[in-house]
Amino acid sequence: MPLLDVKGLKTYFYTNRGVVKAVDGASFTVNENEIFCLVGETGCGKSVTALSIMRLIFPPGKILSGKALYKEEDLLKIPESEMQKIRGREISMVFQNPMNSLNPVFTIGYQISEAPTVHFNLSKKEAWKRTTDLIRDVKITDADTRAKCYPHVLSGGMRQRTMMAMMLSCNPNLLIADEPTTSLDVTIQAQILDLLIEIKKKRRMSVILITHNFGLVAEFGDRVAVMYCGKVVEIGDVTTIFRNPLHPYTRGLLRCLPIGYKRKSKLGFIPGTLPSPIDTPSGCSFHPRCEHSTKSCKLREPELVEYEKNHFVACHLYER
Amino acid sequence: MKISNILRLMFGYRTSCIGALIILAVSSVAIAADVIAPKHYSDVDIVKKLQPPSWKCIFGTDHYGRDVFSRVVYGTRIALWVGLLVVLVEALVGVGLGLIAGYYGGGLDKVILAITDMTWALPPIVLALGVITLIGPGLTQVVAAIALVSWPPFTRVVRAKMVSLKEREFILAARSIGESSLNIIFRYLLPNIVPSIIVLMTLTLPSAILSTTALSFLGFGAQPPTPDWGAMLSEGAAQLIIAPWIATFPGIFIVITALGFNLLGDGLRDILDPKLKI
Repeated sequence: MPLLDVKGLKTYFYTNRGVVKAVDGASFTVNENEIFCLVGETGCGKSVTALSIMRLIFPPGKILSGKALYKEEDLLKIPESEMQKIRGREISMVFQNPMNSLNPVFTIGYQISEAPTVHFNLSKKEAWKRTTDLIRDVKITDADTRAKCYPHVLSGGMRQRTMMAMMLSCNPNLLIADEPTTSLDVTIQAQILDLLIEIKKKRRMSVILITHNFGLVAEFGDRVAVMYCGKVVEIGDVTTIFRNPLHPYTRGLLRCLPIGYKRKSKLGFIPGTLPSPIDTPSGCSFHPRCEHSTKSCKLREPELVEYEKNHFVACHLYER
Repeated sequence: MKISNILRLMFGYRTSCIGALIILAVSSVAIAADVIAPKHYSDVDIVKKLQPPSWKCIFGTDHYGRDVFSRVVYGTRIALWVGLLVVLVEALVGVGLGLIAGYYGGGLDKVILAITDMTWALPPIVLALGVITLIGPGLTQVVAAIALVSWPPFTRVVRAKMVSLKEREFILAARSIGESSLNIIFRYLLPNIVPSIIVLMTLTLPSAILSTTALSFLGFGAQPPTPDWGAMLSEGAAQLIIAPWIATFPGIFIVITALGFNLLGDGLRDILDPKLKI
């Protein structure tokens, strides 16, 4: 029984220049206690997928159709007041840019304690203890002093830790980490991700890790979904996908990774660029860039089929 | 930022320090008016009318023989009280509308903005005159009339701030931990706007005082014998040639008070700038 089951999610943005199909029929499942990675190029709809699950899409954006079953409850159907109880307590989200994700006018201790105080009716003393414990959990030293700091005095890594403490404050079962390390330097990236894994193990929660970095996927992920133009083109266990990538796009992406021992060989690339989300190609949206493209690729959109156990791919090459 | 920090900065910064000292002086005069004024503001002594300033009565007397100094001192109370009241009402109306317009956007925003722009386009004194013609003269009416026409700057400032703030990631983060809209407006957005509101309030106060004075000068505000500075100006204007002191001293006080608030507001704007955060 998966923890989260997303089916045919469609989120469009209605702009003056046309309809941007940011997420166009994405489907995937997230199991309990696993790290599920969502990979893809910039603009392929990873973040919008996450925000749609949280129901944080605002006009001109609109969630058109699809389901997001969380513990057998469709998050896209329940009333907003119910959704507010899900956010934070069941699912919460860490954002890309820790510089902007904290409120500049309050101390970090206040911000971390804010949500649990409201949700669980804690007294001041209990809230403070909980807050300092959380700050210790995310490995910020000297919790009592740090809690009284304003965000602008903290470093990027510390702010991201604070952000994580804030998001963990109501004990969620699912944490969505939207490129949590993109704006941090490499050593801090490793620390933050290690922390994420540690917390995940300790609290036995699931994590959706959104990234464009296959290195992180290989290192930390359990399962991975590759997204292209708002659709999931391939899903499978990380080991399977790395050993046997099926979709030409996944293969292309993996060819683009520099591999240490093959230093002299040329780095691969995918010809062409990401198509405009306003007018996506007909049929399989990858066909203009695909080396195996055939006539039927232009005409018909491939379905996500199970090629081998737990390994799904949406490509005409594998349809039977 | 802590209050003590703000105070330290306020007095360490020349502009706001001078402004704050002026406001402090004017406010203490208002509070201690009964002690400072040698006579009551309506004590008439017709024998000593139109006396020029002397050691005994430093601002002279007016055409009823009333002590100008006492009247100016009591006038401080009215000016500050009316100014504060006007600004508070303005802020309440303006900030409320600005929060709604900025947060909810869409059609509501357009309607509120249209009303704001229309109100702003009207000349305030003329509109206030119209309102007073409808509801009759008096200080309360003046407060209502001025507040009714001069709230638009608050709405514009608050709305503009809201529009940019609500797109910031920390608001999205607040939503993603399950905060309600009301909580987001009052506990996340408003605290970020408060510094601007405070600055705007200090900067609007002098114009509120000037507007009430103007309306009183025209005879629509405080009615005699209330020692309103504007009313005193207009009474003194008749004797400007033979007894210039009657109009001059209230005038000087108006200028000093307005200047004090303006300096304080300018200073506060710099101090409360987030880039300067200590």
